[in-house]
Amino acid sequence: MRLLIIEDEPGIAGFLKDGLEEEYFAIDLAYDGKTGLDMALINEYDLLIVDWMIPAISGIEVCRQVRKAGSTVPIIFLTAKDTIEDVVFGLDAGANDYIKKPFEFEELLARIRVQLRNKERSDDSLTAGSLSINPVTHQVFCGSTEITLTPKEFALLEYLVRNKDRVCTRSRIIEHVWDIHFDSDTSVIDVYITFLRRKLEAAECGNIIQTIRGVGYIVREPVIS
Amino acid sequence: MSVRNRIAFYYTIATAFLIAIVFAIIYIMVERIVYKQFDQEIKKEIAEILSDSNVSTHDFKGFASLQNVDIDGGNSDNDNDSDSDNDSKKKKMINVDTEFIQLVNSTGQVINKSTSLSWCVLAFNPNQSGTSFFNSNFGGTMVRQAQVPLVNKKGITEGYLIVALPLKNAMIVLRDLEDIFFFSFPVIILTLFILTRLIAGKSIRPIEKVIATAEKITQTNLEHRIPLPDHHDELYRLSATMNGLFDRMQDAFQREKQFTANASHELKTPLAVVKGTLEVLVRKPREREHYETRIQFCLKELNRMAKLIDQLLMLARHESNKINPQIETVRLSPYIERVIERMQLSANAKNISIAVVHTENARIAVDPGMLDMIFENILSNAIKYSPAGSTIAVDINRNADAIVCSISDQGIGIPEEKLHAIFERFYRVDESRNTDTGGFGLGLSIVKKLADLQHIKVSVTSETNRGTTFSLTFPAGETNG
Repeated sequence: MRLLIIEDEPGIAGFLKDGLEEEYFAIDLAYDGKTGLDMALINEYDLLIVDWMIPAISGIEVCRQVRKAGSTVPIIFLTAKDTIEDVVFGLDAGANDYIKKPFEFEELLARIRVQLRNKERSDDSLTAGSLSINPVTHQVFCGSTEITLTPKEFALLEYLVRNKDRVCTRSRIIEHVWDIHFDSDTSVIDVYITFLRRKLEAAECGNIIQTIRGVGYIVREPVIS
Repeated sequence: MSVRNRIAFYYTIATAFLIAIVFAIIYIMVERIVYKQFDQEIKKEIAEILSDSNVSTHDFKGFASLQNVDIDGGNSDNDNDSDSDNDSKKKKMINVDTEFIQLVNSTGQVINKSTSLSWCVLAFNPNQSGTSFFNSNFGGTMVRQAQVPLVNKKGITEGYLIVALPLKNAMIVLRDLEDIFFFSFPVIILTLFILTRLIAGKSIRPIEKVIATAEKITQTNLEHRIPLPDHHDELYRLSATMNGLFDRMQDAFQREKQFTANASHELKTPLAVVKGTLEVLVRKPREREHYETRIQFCLKELNRMAKLIDQLLMLARHESNKINPQIETVRLSPYIERVIERMQLSANAKNISIAVVHTENARIAVDPGMLDMIFENILSNAIKYSPAGSTIAVDINRNADAIVCSISDQGIGIPEEKLHAIFERFYRVDESRNTDTGGFGLGLSIVKKLADLQHIKVSVTSETNRGTTFSLTFPAGETNG
């Protein structure tokens, strides 16, 4: 999952990046509204965390512009403004959620998970065949056997399972799993796919990741026959 | 009592008083005129009597000379007189109203009287020495009478001639007038009260409107304004004044709200940074180096926060004016030099030189502690916004009757449209609230506050990218020292 944080306070941006990267998110940072808006419109993010009071363009305006561009990406407002009017104003501007500073990091994580949750399902677990992923605890199970994955492997598998039965192109995988500083050499995907397949096979989960040659990869729900 | 009733009440009382006076004057005037007429009549009568009997009031020759006077009116019986020229007198007096004539000696004993008096006697007032006119009453009849002293050659009053005319008709007129006044007075007053109350009610109705609007305006709903009346009268001014007041209140509330929002942002941000950093830090075990850098970072944030709290508290204390400046007379230049010395370190770090261009041996009356803080804030701003290697000039000059200290930098300057706001709390010219320069936007508002407390005038001129000059104008203290 790739997140964009638009926050002018380097201290907050810093620990958010630290903490969220530990949670296997790919994080991009923007320190002002204009850069943030450009990045949000050019790249594809799974979620935006936007501070209200930022230079150049306010968080509210960033939010409006993103919505105007037709994007439905979840946006979480992050601000010290705390009156009810402010909350309502922020949510009306198109934000999905609102968290007041100072906040608990765990709460922010939970709210991010809520926003990333697949709309049709209410729980947080992701499954494909006998494979199940818990994004809260970062555990992957094949049946009852736990599979130990590196953060990048986990992020890649999570992204593929979240987009189950849809083709994930190599560029989209790069965009969503790696952050903006990654040099776009997509061959790294193949390396991680190989690692994943090996670990999944070892756990007898079968080959659920299929290669679409020249395009990318897909996770398919195995047809029970 | 409502305003409306009060107006009516006071107005009615004042008018009642006035009307009473007017009525009294009218009554007295009418009475006077009536009596004057009577008096004239009586005078004529007396003159006639005296000339008929050839008697002078100053040369009285005894009552005997008056014996032949026909003191009876033309319509009397003429029984006690057998004078020869009786007839002519009769003719003369026939047109005159029934009059009463009486002769008394100096002791008031009746010598002679007209028959019209029958058994009655006219009042005699022995205390009156000259001719006098007065009202009296005999036998139930009000009369106007005159008492003429009859003086002999030696100047001794031997007796009095008293002539009286009945007041009957005149009294009826006066009584009627009295009645009219008596009955019309309460009617006028009552009508007046009711009318005034109506008029007052009508004229204060717009005030009710003002009250209704003012009641609608609360702290949370300050947008309402009182509609201005069409006429430029007192109500217009009242409404305009109140609207002005509401404008200022709204402005003040807005500024207060802005201040609270800014303060909470400035306080919560470092708090959020520290909290978040530490939370992330303890989620997983890390290397010692990682801990150290993060904790150092948190300490830096906490220091910044402490500084902000200090400044906020100082502002709050000065805002409530609990601190009175301890004014002393001090020499200005050593003070500035001391502050410059203190700032030298941070200036050196940016290779900025602080030069005292011109100094004046002046004494000023200030609070030294506050002055320190003012200089420190202005100088630290100058250093903060000056490019490396530039010069900050401090200049002390004597004006006509004041000492002016100006501090000029060669920094980035302040755009003209933002100059007015720089003394506002939390105002920062750089809207991004860039933390690199480290300020909160409180320094200059503290400067302003402290300067105001000591009656120091702070002014600022600036040119973008050329520099800013802050001028402190001190109230004239003692010169030379």
